[in-house]
Amino acid sequence: MPEGIHGVEWLARTRDDRDLAAWFELMPYARRIGVSAQPEAQGEGLLFRLDPQSGNVGNVMLPALHGGVVAAFMETAATLDLMLASREPRLPRIVDVSIDYLRTARLVPTYARCSLLREGRRLANVTVTAWQKDAAAPVATARLHFVLGDPASHQE
Amino acid sequence: MTSPTDADWRRALSRFVNVIPHTRELGLEVLEASPRLTRMRLPWHEDLLGDSARGLVHGGVLTMLLDTACGSAVLPALPAPEVCPTLDLRVDHFRPAVAGLDLLVEARALRVTASVVFTEGRVWQSGQGDVARAVGNFVRLGPRNTPPEFAQALFAEEDDHA
Repeated sequence: MPEGIHGVEWLARTRDDRDLAAWFELMPYARRIGVSAQPEAQGEGLLFRLDPQSGNVGNVMLPALHGGVVAAFMETAATLDLMLASREPRLPRIVDVSIDYLRTARLVPTYARCSLLREGRRLANVTVTAWQKDAAAPVATARLHFVLGDPASHQE
Repeated sequence: MTSPTDADWRRALSRFVNVIPHTRELGLEVLEASPRLTRMRLPWHEDLLGDSARGLVHGGVLTMLLDTACGSAVLPALPAPEVCPTLDLRVDHFRPAVAGLDLLVEARALRVTASVVFTEGRVWQSGQGDVARAVGNFVRLGPRNTPPEFAQALFAEEDDHA
């Protein structure tokens, strides 16, 4: 791939500009399932949204969203939130994810918010909560670990 | 009903993933199914990328694939088909899956109890080592919460080619 795309300068610049569109541009699967993000009305974080697309359905009888799509939404949220919240511009690479399904996710908009519980020198721990109509009744929670890569040397 | 053969299960799970809009649209294919093991193939597609600058598959694709495969592997392991939503899922990412190659997944039900089915699965790409593994637990909702159409849809007669 050409140098300069998605490198350290690109990451620093898009981060400074809060250019989420540039990040989604590089994430076709997140676009396919209909993930978007906007700054929180209050505070510094991001509020993520998953469109209730018919292609995200995993159970036609209910109908309900595919649990794996909800997981992919939450993983996208955690990754982007960490790219913005980390002390320096770094590329998160997922190590593991653990997701608990609490309620059936219906075919309505789903929202998610993340917390960076710990940012070490190399590893970060992020939790995500996803809900639909009622933030007090989450449909799923997730915990993720990431390795924070130096974008200049990230090769894999 | 007599006990379904492995070929019956392959057809049943093919129907199962073809009824699910998300996996149908991605072209997920069931290669093999039995009470012991379920194997599937997700064909390569540009939309699976999560980092198109580096050509890496979105980690969430692997989670979705493992959830689907583990959830499907539950069905042949049960005495009778039952709706079993995911209780929780843990995925370990050994390394990123790369662009241009199909994703292969296999899953098995390790233990069936009265209320839960314990499963595990792994994902790999041809010529590469494993990219991820999962442990997923599924809740048995029981026959009372399983609509009769569920088993019928799985084992429908082969007259639905039209």
